[in-house]
Amino acid sequence: MKGGPERAPGSEMQKPGSDADEAGAATGNPHLDAAKREELITANLGLAHQLARRFLHRGEPLDDLVQVASVALVKSVDRFDPDRGVDFAAFATRTIIGELKRHFRDKGWAVRASRRVQELYLELGHATATLVQQLGRNPTVAELAEATGASEEAVIEAIEAGQGYRAASIDASESEDDPLAVRLGAFDGNYDSVEDRALLGPALATLAPREQSILHMRFVDGLTQSEIAAAVGVSQMHVSRLLSASLKKLRETIGQAEAGRP
Amino acid sequence: MSDTGDGLGRGDRIELTFPARGDLVVLARLVASAVAARAGFDIEELEDLRLATNELCMLAMQGSDAQSGALYLELTMHGDAIGAVCTLERAAAAHAPTPEGEEIARLSELILDALVDEHGRESHDGAVRTWLRKQRGEHGA
Repeated sequence: MKGGPERAPGSEMQKPGSDADEAGAATGNPHLDAAKREELITANLGLAHQLARRFLHRGEPLDDLVQVASVALVKSVDRFDPDRGVDFAAFATRTIIGELKRHFRDKGWAVRASRRVQELYLELGHATATLVQQLGRNPTVAELAEATGASEEAVIEAIEAGQGYRAASIDASESEDDPLAVRLGAFDGNYDSVEDRALLGPALATLAPREQSILHMRFVDGLTQSEIAAAVGVSQMHVSRLLSASLKKLRETIGQAEAGRP
Repeated sequence: MSDTGDGLGRGDRIELTFPARGDLVVLARLVASAVAARAGFDIEELEDLRLATNELCMLAMQGSDAQSGALYLELTMHGDAIGAVCTLERAAAAHAPTPEGEEIARLSELILDALVDEHGRESHDGAVRTWLRKQRGEHGA
């Protein structure tokens, strides 16, 4: 029993028609003409974007992840065969997640982790590629451990550290002295006026790093409360409460600052 | 993978209970990875199970306040497959599902569609239960 939905959230499933026999030459997919291909891509860009967000906060800019996911979406459209009766959204999701995983495996990551774990993770990428060639299949953890000289536990730890996933807490310390919240960057914002910035800057500095980051995600990155909840790993209701409390603190701090002005 | 030695065999069961908080789902991912490794899953299958376990936990918590209560994860070997059941006692949902929450849940289900062989979600007597089954490929020894 599959529990999945008929269509992807934020996307509309488009069933390619069967009148596209001449389309292959134009699109590379004999099942789709150019218009239907374009339509299918456009209708599922939202899905690519949402999947990219699942891998956010690993030190990779969202734009880069969205680009990887979007390219994967195009690949999945070009490989999709509607005659197989497979749901396109599930097919595309599989392809996009695979490409995102490969992106992290190939590139490593910009987030700081212990040197040992970083090196092992990068080594795992190389060892996986080599073993796939040698074995004709994907290696197991035991085979990767043997190839890299690391323990199976170390391999598992490196996979977790290297790819993470979206449920990481913004406050969870993934290296000993470097909570994720610190790595999310300072809340500098793009405010309209220097005066606003002069007021907001010190007020923001009074907030906890997590509060600053959530405000940044909401008002600078433009994420919805649910998207923030998914990214941070808390409920939407908790995000709502944090936002309310943070804004209240800001108002109070700014009010005090203005009251003290000459 | 045989039923002996240092691997996992049919019927072996691993249980994990942790506070129902998103930042602790990493524990479920790590356990799922370790179980998959010992069950002889290859690296792609392991990563699929790892991400799917994350979605399973988040799906169970979806719609809940998720700042209290416990999430219970049970992983069981079924021959060449791993079954995972995630249970959130107390009514995750004491809160009515919101459209946004349901959209997030649908994405989780779509991801599960792509990563595992079977999965489902049900609510009963104030508890939310999500489950999946992931089959190992033919390479397994």
